[in-house]
Order: sequence, then structure tokens, then C-alpha cells
Amino acid sequence: MSTELEWITEVDDHRIKTPVLQVEDVAISYETRKGDVPAVRDVSFDILRGEAHSIVGESGCGKSTVAFGIVNFLGRNGRIVNGRILFQGQDLVGRPQEELRRIRGDRIAMVYQDPMQALNPSMRLGDQMSEVLIVHRGMEKKAAEEKCLEMLNRVYMPDAANVMRRYPHQISGGQQQRVVIAMALLNDPALLIMDEPTTALDVTVEAVVLDLIAELQRVFDTAIMYISHNLGVVARVSTKVGVMYAGEIVERATVKDVYLRPYHPYTQGLMRCVPRLGMDKRSSFLYPIPGRVPSPANLPPGCVFEPRCDYSREECRLKRPALRAIEPRHWVRCHFAEEVAQMGWEPPEEVLADLATPAEFDRTAEPILKVSRAKTYYEAPSKKLLSREKLYVKAVDDVSIEVIKGETLGIVGESGCGKSTLVKTVIGMEKPTAGEFEFMGVDISTPVSKRDLSIIRELQMVFQNPDSTLNPSFTVGMQIGRALRRFKTVPKDHVRAEVMRLLNMMKLGELYYDRLPRQLSGGEKQRVGIARAIAARPELVLCDEPVSALDVSVQAAVLNLLMEIQAELGTTMIFIAHDLSVVRFFCDHIAVMYLGQIAEIGLAEAIYSPPYHPYTEALLSAVPIPDPSVEQKSIRLSGNVPSALNPPSGCRFHTRCPRKLGDVCETAAPPCQHMTDEHRIHCHIPLEELREMEMVVSIAG
Amino acid sequence: MLVRDYMTKHPLMVQPTMSIVDAQRFMGENNIRHLPIVGDGKRLLGLVTRQTLLVDPGRLGSLDVWEITRCLAGLTVQDVMVKAEHVIIVEQNATIEEAARIMVEKKIGCLLVVDDGVVTGVITEIDLLARLMEMMAARVPGVRVTVRQPNVSGELAKLVGAIAAQGWGIRALGGTPTPKDPSKWDVVVKVSNVPKDEIVAALRKVDGQEVVDVREV
Repeated sequence: MSTELEWITEVDDHRIKTPVLQVEDVAISYETRKGDVPAVRDVSFDILRGEAHSIVGESGCGKSTVAFGIVNFLGRNGRIVNGRILFQGQDLVGRPQEELRRIRGDRIAMVYQDPMQALNPSMRLGDQMSEVLIVHRGMEKKAAEEKCLEMLNRVYMPDAANVMRRYPHQISGGQQQRVVIAMALLNDPALLIMDEPTTALDVTVEAVVLDLIAELQRVFDTAIMYISHNLGVVARVSTKVGVMYAGEIVERATVKDVYLRPYHPYTQGLMRCVPRLGMDKRSSFLYPIPGRVPSPANLPPGCVFEPRCDYSREECRLKRPALRAIEPRHWVRCHFAEEVAQMGWEPPEEVLADLATPAEFDRTAEPILKVSRAKTYYEAPSKKLLSREKLYVKAVDDVSIEVIKGETLGIVGESGCGKSTLVKTVIGMEKPTAGEFEFMGVDISTPVSKRDLSIIRELQMVFQNPDSTLNPSFTVGMQIGRALRRFKTVPKDHVRAEVMRLLNMMKLGELYYDRLPRQLSGGEKQRVGIARAIAARPELVLCDEPVSALDVSVQAAVLNLLMEIQAELGTTMIFIAHDLSVVRFFCDHIAVMYLGQIAEIGLAEAIYSPPYHPYTEALLSAVPIPDPSVEQKSIRLSGNVPSALNPPSGCRFHTRCPRKLGDVCETAAPPCQHMTDEHRIHCHIPLEELREMEMVVSIAG
Repeated sequence: MLVRDYMTKHPLMVQPTMSIVDAQRFMGENNIRHLPIVGDGKRLLGLVTRQTLLVDPGRLGSLDVWEITRCLAGLTVQDVMVKAEHVIIVEQNATIEEAARIMVEKKIGCLLVVDDGVVTGVITEIDLLARLMEMMAARVPGVRVTVRQPNVSGELAKLVGAIAAQGWGIRALGGTPTPKDPSKWDVVVKVSNVPKDEIVAALRKVDGQEVVDVREV
């Protein structure tokens, strides 16, 4: 038996350790008009019985291609050009479709990123689930339905019998993902491939789904191949991890080893560009990895990471490194891994020069934006045909915030909490129902079409998805220039020069002036979006999840860029994000929103340490943290954010609150308790009790 | 202690069209002795063991080497397998002693675990021996004492009471009728972290029982 097979997690297990899946030197290419594109090269790993193995890497690194290669979903132009894929001892490569189906049968199941797309929207959930059993196993409908119900209960689906009768759109995203997982497990597969199954979910839901996956793996003894870009998520579900870069596995070891002793420069780079929970911009920096993932059609001749590597030498340019064991059970693809690990890492000069010191702001200054008792309601169609009664979705209900000039206010909360609506109301895209909105002393409760141009100019927005916010048929230069012309920031004949200046500031370079959005990567598009927002030199920039759609290394670069802009122009920012580590890192003040109301607001460091609002506590305990030395309390919220159409009485969080006091939470609105002048918590629990809460995240030892 | 907790889930299985030459190699490579043959939906069709792969010379026309090769090349596992209806199976909700009984009675080393016609696992003699080992706490150091006691109810309670009175914990406990003497019962107890002499002294005091074997393991 090879040495790899000794790499077992449970010492007392006497069973034969035949790997469920053995991938050996696999290379996958896509045929294109320009010739074969080698998307994946030289990938080897194995997954033992009942083990979870993860693959991490940025987008475009070939993670999903490997998964598709295993299940033979490569599409018409993709094929495995080299290597073997052994599933339960039988080679899958090069067999005809029908034979593959018989070998693999229903022993491999796959769960995709977006649960909504994996479910048939026109079929009731019970029908599509039992179909699996009726088709594969020839079960009777009745028996199949019973089995499905049992499986739904297994994945802790609330009210499973009713869910069987519903359509996919009638349940929430987290529940949809549960249905998909239950469906994948119906055939009791030996191998379950999960391709970013929690990426589309909220942190709180993600935490629950991850717990579920870990439990099911134990109960069903299923081997799991878990694909993710988030090392924290990976650490929570799996023991071993392979780091992929540009179609190759560059490092492979246990999650703990990879986190504590990364050898490959790329893995090290990845660690440096993610903010850890608790880091803030004044005490630490994020170091983005320069450059970008090379296109598989145009790979460097030597090491694939060489162009972006800080330790690059002559040999790296010429010779391709092989994946070698640097320690027992730790493989790395680098010529100089030992030296790299010893040398330590100093940020290169040019990177340091680029890092701006974060802007200081005057805490005593007058607030630039004052929102008090803001309400934004959407009218909903009444359920009764002949009723005059109007129903309202209370997206934002009685929110008061103040933003001081030059600071950054972060807004966090699950989706559906009204974060975006609040921002949209401030900028005038939604009409406020009530409340006072004052910006630089001017009332801005009017919609954007009725606002004075000078106000519009001072308030700009950066959107989440750069793809849909850039006009695909206009060049970058035209799109940025349009804002300059409209707001007359510079005289007409200076527009081009100003655009160039902005492009340089965004570190894009003047070559980008004539490019179209489709020629840009996600990070570059977001930079253009930011350039367009700051073109008018606004006082306040509203960023709605500006980095959520980006890869970690790009995210670090964009965050640094935003900080630089802030330092240079003194811009005030409101920053919405669902990643609590990013918000902690980037913001000065943080508001935690729940169901249209503010649960807690205060200075960033105050929010992340006790006293907490129970909702903040739950959010923090849901953040996936890769660091094995960190201890995290496990608080899981049940259910979903209730509907804003009919919010719960009293404290809106009482239906899910793990610290609910009793009737008072259901009947009375929670009082606003002031910890300090700036820090307020809306909760019935007395301050003294809140102060005695333990830290959610603490470093062990 | 049910079969479903100790069986090997997701056993290696092959399709009925595999040639016996491949099956032979497959079993050798993966070091297995029993190979379930399944159709769609992991439905049990048959079982191939090393024995069933021994081709009956009567099937061969002659012992000519070409004839043998031709015959073997044409054979698939479905030609030689034990058909599903003859395969000895166990339910996943059966107890492990039930599985052991079937194996002992049929003199076989492996049972397929089949649920509604679908193969869910296999349980072998090794799985059961591993359980025996764990029940006797074979890997925990301690003192292992065999006590012979009359085969009447209440005797075991006396023994356990004597150990409990000292405040010790029992790591493992098992009993079997004394060989060739049905009126007696041999009980094995394992106690950790207590000196051997103290245990022996305490157990000698139990009325009507005899310490027949003491060893530190």
C-alpha cells in the first residue's frame, strides 16, 4: 500500500482504507477554435472513505473543472487528456457513457452553488425528490415519499411534511439548499461533490448548513469533495485541503498545517489578503497578491505562480516545479519552499509605498449625514380582492444614524434586513415614508429626480455587481467621462485628462480608456465602478457590498484602494457587507441591522467585544474562521429572517433570539440602552447582564 | 450495537457485465474477498467470492490453453455469481449478535447488508472481532481478571458490587459459560489504574466465587 493510504484520520479504524476517489495526474483540456486550452494539469489527490477533502482557490483556477471531470459533465468540448480517476477502484477515464453510468450509477452525487437552479421550479419539492427514488430504485410512489420525508427530517427541515407540497420558490435559500442536500443523499452516495454549496447563503444560514454537512458526513460515512474559495468554510467541514492555482494543485496538507505553516508563496499570499476577525485598518494592512491568475491558454513556461511571486528566481522562470512532499503529509509545488518558509515575508517596497495610512477623522465634528426615525415602506398588494386595507413591507422602520465627516460606517445584517433599502433611500432611489434626512444641512428626503444637481454630485454609490452596473457597449473612458461632464467637475477639454488621472489612481493605467467592460476582470470592473463614483469628488460614497462578488486577493486590492481614496480625498463612506471580518477591518462605526431596525450601533471595536446584542453575538459566532487556535462559541439561529410584511411584535428578534427573556420581548419594543454615548444596544436584557457576556471569538491557549 | 453502526458502508461493488478476469484483478488489487454485483440503484443481483471465480473445469471443452483463454474471455461475473436469492444477507437493523449467529451457522465470513433489495453495506467477521476487541477494552491498559462464579442470578451483581464498593470503574465486562461445566459462569472484568494485588484481594473476598486468572495487560 502506498504511503498516502496511511494518511488516515481515525487510528482505530480497522477497515481497508481503499480511497473512494483517487485522482492521478489528471489533465483536462477544452477544445476551442484557438486550439486546446489546458484548464487543469497534473492534479492528483485522493479521498478516503468517509473523509472530507476540500479544494480551495480563486475563481478560474479549475476547481469546478476537476469536479466536472469526475462526474463527466465537461461539456462537448472538454475532455480528460491524461491521468486516471479511480472511483471505488474502477477507472472512470475513457469509458463510454453507458458503462460510466453503470459504474458510477448513483454512487456519486453533486450539490451545486445555487440551490434555486438545481431545483425544478415547476414541480413540487416532494415530487422532484421522490422522482429520484422512483427512477433510480424503482420504488413505489408512496414508499418513495415516505423515504423523502424521513430524509428531510434528517436534514432538520422544519415542517418537512408541508415542505414536500411546496414549490421551490416558496421556501428560503437555506431551506432550498437543505432540500438539494437531502436529494443528493437519497441514494446514499459513496462520494458527494459539493461545489460552493454555501456561497450564496447568509453567514447565519451558512453556519447551520456547514454544521449539517459535517454531521451528515459522520452519519452516512460519505466521502465529500468540497469546493470553496473560503478557507474558513473549508476549515469547518474538512480535514484536508488542496490549494489550486491556475489549474494545478500547489499545496496539499491538512487544513491545520496549511493554515499554520503554509509553504507555497501563493498560499501565504492568500492568508495575507484576508482580514482576520478582529483586525482593523489602523493596526494592520492587507497585502493583495499583485497581478492576476494567468489564462490557461497562455501559461508561463516555468512555475505558474512565478509572475506574481515575490521570491521568483531564474529557475522558477525556466523549470516547472513538481508537487513534492516537503514534510510527511504535506505536499507543495515550489522549488524553494523550504527557503521561502524560513525567509519570512517582508512586504516589497513598492507595495508599502502604495499602502495609505487610513484617514483619521475628527470624532467631535458635526455629522455630515443625519438620518432620524427613517421609515421606508413598500406597498404590497392586499391579499383580499375587495379590501381597501393596504399592506406594507416595512423594509426600513425607524432607523436613526449619524455619519461624521471622513469616517466609514459599516452596516451588517442578514439579507432582507433592509441594509440596501436604507442606503437607497439616502441616495434617493427609494422614496422615504417618514423620517428626516439631512445631508450637509440640506434636506434630502426628496427622490433623486427632484434633487439639486449639487446634492446628487455629493452623494455617489458603488454597487455590488460591477457587471450589471456598467453599460456593456460604452468604453471605460466614456463611462467615467460621462459623470465628469454631467457634474461639470472639470472643464470640458480637461475631461480626458481627468479620466486618465482617475484610471491611474485606480491602478488601471491609461490603456484601459478604450476598453469595453467585457474586456475587464471582475476586480477591474469594480475599480471602474469606483472611479465613476468618485469622479464627481463626492462627499459621501455609499458602497453596497462592493467586494462581495470579488476574489479574496482582488478584494484586498479594492479595499486598499477605497482606503487610499478616503485618505486622499477625505471621503465619507457607508459600507455594506455581509463579511464581518471585512467590515471590522474597514469601518470605524458599525450598525447591526435586523429586520429594518438597528439592533446595535457603535464603534467597530465595541461591536466586536461584549456587551453584545444577542443578534450580533449570533452573527459573530457564525463567521467561519480558519485559524485552528481560535475558539468560537457556537450559537445557531433557527429559521429565517421573518417577513417584513408582518414583523414580529415587541422586539423583532424575539422569534429567533437565543437569549429571549420572556413575554416582555414579545410585547414591548426594546429600549435603547446606551453603553457609551456612541454605543447603543436595543435589547430588553439589562446592561449589567449584557456586560457579563463572554467573548464569542477568543484565541485559545 | 446494531449492524448499521458497524458495517462498512459504501462497499466496493461492480456491474454484472464485468469480465471475470477483471473481477479477479479488481478483488486482488483492492484486497477484498467478497464482491457484490449490483444493477441500477445498487439493487443486489449476486455475489462473487474468490471461490465462485474458480471456474469448474467441466465448463471447459478441453484443457487446451487456447480453449481455456477463449472460455475465460467470454465469462462475465453474472455467469458465475451466486444469484441474489441465494446470497445470505442481513438487515441493517439486526443486532450484531444476530449477524454473528448467521455467520457461525452458515460458516461464512461476510454478510451483505441489504435493505429493501438495495446493498447498503457489508459486515465481516473482522468487524465483529473488532467489536469483541473493543468490548473487552483490548487496547486499554489495566488488570484483566477472570472470575468463575455459580451460574445463578445475583452472582454478577455481587462481583460488580465488590468493585463498586472500592470506588473503581469497570472498563470492560464480559461473560461466557464455563467450558465443560454448565453450572458455572466465567466472567472477565477489566479495571484500570488500580494495582493488581488490591484487585485480587478485593475479589477474593466475594463469597462463592473464584479468581481463576489475573493478568496485567
